[in-house]
Amino acid sequence: MAQQLSDDELSAALAGDPSGFSAVYAAISPAVLGYFRARGVDDAEALTQDVFVDVLPKLASVTGGHAGLRTFIFSVAHARLVDYRRRAERTPYLAEYDPLNDARSSASAEDEVLGSLGGISDTLAGLNEEQREVLVLRIVADLSIEQVAGIMDKTPGAIKQLQRRGLSALRELVTEKDHAAS
Amino acid sequence: MTGTRDPQQHGSIQAMLSDSGLESAAELRSALEQLGAVVPDQAPAPRADLAALLAGGVAASTMPGATAPARVAPQTVDSGAPSGVAEDVEPGTGEAEPNAVVSLEDRRRGRKRRLAIVGGAVIGAMSLGAGAVAASSEDFRHSVSRTVGVMFQPAGHAGPATEHVQPSPTDVPAIPAPGATPAPNGTPSVPPAGTATSSTASRDASSDGKTRATTAPTGPPAVGRDGILPTPSQRPVTPGIPGAPGQGNGNGNGKDLPRTPGNVTPSLPGVVPNFPDR
Repeated sequence: MAQQLSDDELSAALAGDPSGFSAVYAAISPAVLGYFRARGVDDAEALTQDVFVDVLPKLASVTGGHAGLRTFIFSVAHARLVDYRRRAERTPYLAEYDPLNDARSSASAEDEVLGSLGGISDTLAGLNEEQREVLVLRIVADLSIEQVAGIMDKTPGAIKQLQRRGLSALRELVTEKDHAAS
Repeated sequence: MTGTRDPQQHGSIQAMLSDSGLESAAELRSALEQLGAVVPDQAPAPRADLAALLAGGVAASTMPGATAPARVAPQTVDSGAPSGVAEDVEPGTGEAEPNAVVSLEDRRRGRKRRLAIVGGAVIGAMSLGAGAVAASSEDFRHSVSRTVGVMFQPAGHAGPATEHVQPSPTDVPAIPAPGATPAPNGTPSVPPAGTATSSTASRDASSDGKTRATTAPTGPPAVGRDGILPTPSQRPVTPGIPGAPGQGNGNGNGKDLPRTPGNVTPSLPGVVPNFPDR
């Protein structure tokens, strides 16, 4: 279980104290790493460290206490995820030819990463992009409706609607999966 | 690797389900808990630049000579997130720009200066060309002077020309001579007179006889020829067409009204003042 961030550590981090930086990293980086894993990033640890390299020097401008710090860090993480998606779309996938793997239906790296999560990966793949983002930010990043709305640049009502539809779709998918397994 | 669930997170899942009205869906709850278990227990081991940042704090990392992370700086420039995250991330906090980042301010300034220089050169070349043509060709000078004269000539004569267009009110009575030209109520007075007398003729026909009711619209002057003239007491009934010329002489001869405005005959003093626009 990830450690919690105390008020003193938060104050030290906002004041530029390295001990505060370490506490912030130890407390929030697991959630950021889980967020990237849940979204199918192939090198989630590297992207997590990129986020903290970008975030830590700017902690002095953060307001809002614990919630503000968490919102700020996941805002940066969301931006890095968008950058990662765009970069992945532009970058061709290069790999050496392996006849053994030439099944013409091999799983992508994202599917493999999502497959490591267990049965939830296939289920999440059935949702659309925004529903998936809302559910991951709400559950993995443990953010409120208002925080998710600020990160995704939407209204809280829109986030509630996305969450409700995403949960309904997820329920149908889970039910279908259970029926197919039984 | 994936750690245990947080009780706070368990509460957030319950709140989500209750908000959506799905608190009774056990399979959905287990799926969400499985998703929440993605969060690892321990933080990942920091790499070299992050470890230096965690050890040295902000002061060491923001020094101008400090080793800036090479792979973060381009992402900072490239981060085009759709949300307002970029504004939250990008605002400069006094950091020195890494070497890989090229400032666009000098490029923008140089572009404006280049545009101004090119514009000035084009305008100067055009003025020089026009001056050379004007100095070399005599026809050009004549044509230019003629063109300028044509352009300004109507403006110079426009004042007197427009003054002659509108006649003064004092000239109006002097133009029509009493005997030379017919009065305004001369020839054009026939159709309005017919229309004016048709109503009176039909009224008379309804009162006097039956046959005149059919002949009255076809021959309005016949009313005058038959000698059925409207009596002065019936004249005020007809001002339904007050502006029609020749309306006053109901018999078509023009004897009732004077031909000139100034010469009002005293023979019919009670007839003329009854018309509203006369």
